[in-house]
Amino acid sequence: TCQLEVDLGRLGLRDARRRQTASCPTVRPKDAVTHNQLAAFGEYVSEIMPKYVQEVQVTCYNELEVMIHPEGVIPVLTFLRDHTNAQFRNMIDLTAVDVPTRQNRFEIVYSLLSLRYNSRIRVKTYTDELTPVDSAVSVHKAANWYEREVWDMFGVFFANHPDLRRILTDYGFEGHPFRKDFPLSGYVEVRYDDELKRVVAEPVELSQEFRKFDLNTPWEVFPAHREPKEAAPKLEAGEVPEKK
Amino acid sequence: MAGLLKKRLRILYSKILASLQTMPHDAPYRKHTEQLVNERFNHERDVEKLEKKINCGQIEEVIFQAECELALSRKMSEWKPWESLVEELPPNQWKWPI
Amino acid sequence: RISSVMASTAASRAAVSAAKVVKPILSRDLDEAKRRVRELYRAWYREIPNTVAMFQLDITTRQGRDKVREMFDKNKHVTDPRVIDMLVIKGKMELQETIHIWKQKTHIMRYFHETQEPRPADFLSKFYRGHDP
Repeated sequence: TCQLEVDLGRLGLRDARRRQTASCPTVRPKDAVTHNQLAAFGEYVSEIMPKYVQEVQVTCYNELEVMIHPEGVIPVLTFLRDHTNAQFRNMIDLTAVDVPTRQNRFEIVYSLLSLRYNSRIRVKTYTDELTPVDSAVSVHKAANWYEREVWDMFGVFFANHPDLRRILTDYGFEGHPFRKDFPLSGYVEVRYDDELKRVVAEPVELSQEFRKFDLNTPWEVFPAHREPKEAAPKLEAGEVPEKK
Repeated sequence: MAGLLKKRLRILYSKILASLQTMPHDAPYRKHTEQLVNERFNHERDVEKLEKKINCGQIEEVIFQAECELALSRKMSEWKPWESLVEELPPNQWKWPI
Repeated sequence: RISSVMASTAASRAAVSAAKVVKPILSRDLDEAKRRVRELYRAWYREIPNTVAMFQLDITTRQGRDKVREMFDKNKHVTDPRVIDMLVIKGKMELQETIHIWKQKTHIMRYFHETQEPRPADFLSKFYRGHDP
């Protein structure tokens, strides 16, 4: 229907177009102006910092993404914060994505907001299990707890972080739960022990009767992450599908 | 009061321009920032008119932006971001879906 | 994902990086990493009597130190300085949690696996246990 909408719009059939738009309200209309603005700003950033910016793209939802080398975290974030034409002074979020098949399995994602220009930007970089990333706390105070969270959940080490320690897991917890190779059931289970009068942890067994646990990985397994849908059985011409 | 603010802004802008002098001539950051400062660096007498001309908030906010820019320009000459890329992208780093 | 990749041209970024040099976490070579391990071990060794007293643990200082030794020995096969650094960092965090008494008794005693029965190895004891996960 949306292709149709475009065609109708080109023909100048305004009424028909309006009706079409109402019929597919979940599709976001293309916004060429915003797209071009973001693209221009992306080029501006990559022109100024060719040393760190590897790639710039604008996604289909008009989100500007800047892919940088891990060494450029502090320079690029500082530039985006302090430059008069950028002023991305708020850190909205900092998180990581784990893709185990890649050479650098972790993506670190920084979301920034510029109140002055009412604009958002996403800065992405990468690392592996053993390569430290420079902490962004010296640029954005908000990064403190976000980086602790990424450290706790993914095990990415942030160099020069003022207070890097666990934030979500229990003391004595081993492993990093958001890694894709972390088992869904975890490694230990805890229970209250009556003799010892305290909580004890034991290797996970999940020995409960009349219950079935689905311990398969919850993640889509790449590649070929979606199995092809079963094709509907072909009908000979003139044949009517059986009613059940 | 207004005169003081404008004087402060002028000092900041000349400091930024001086700091930009340390960078190579063809550095894009220097080019863009010089252009930006020169646009704002004018001798408008009335503060309100100046604010309207710059169109980036009240004069105090403009001063704050200039302070940030000055700090940034000093760090920039340390980082030298106009050099060529430190390391090429690893293959398939941003390919999605895999 | 529909996106337009604009990327600054590849031409401007030629001639980068011949040999891949890994970025160190803390230590530049193995000796430095080993020094950090020794420092951490010493700190744990000194902290044990204090820990036993503060948490009112039902173990002797000797037992505690033996456990520390055992935990360090568990990773003695590691030779990559970056892996050693990572282990030292985690060990330091554990020590900090212990010193500040952020942990509780249960967390400390978890190292000793008191309630854990040894897993049955041969067929008959597996059979007696009845449940084979």
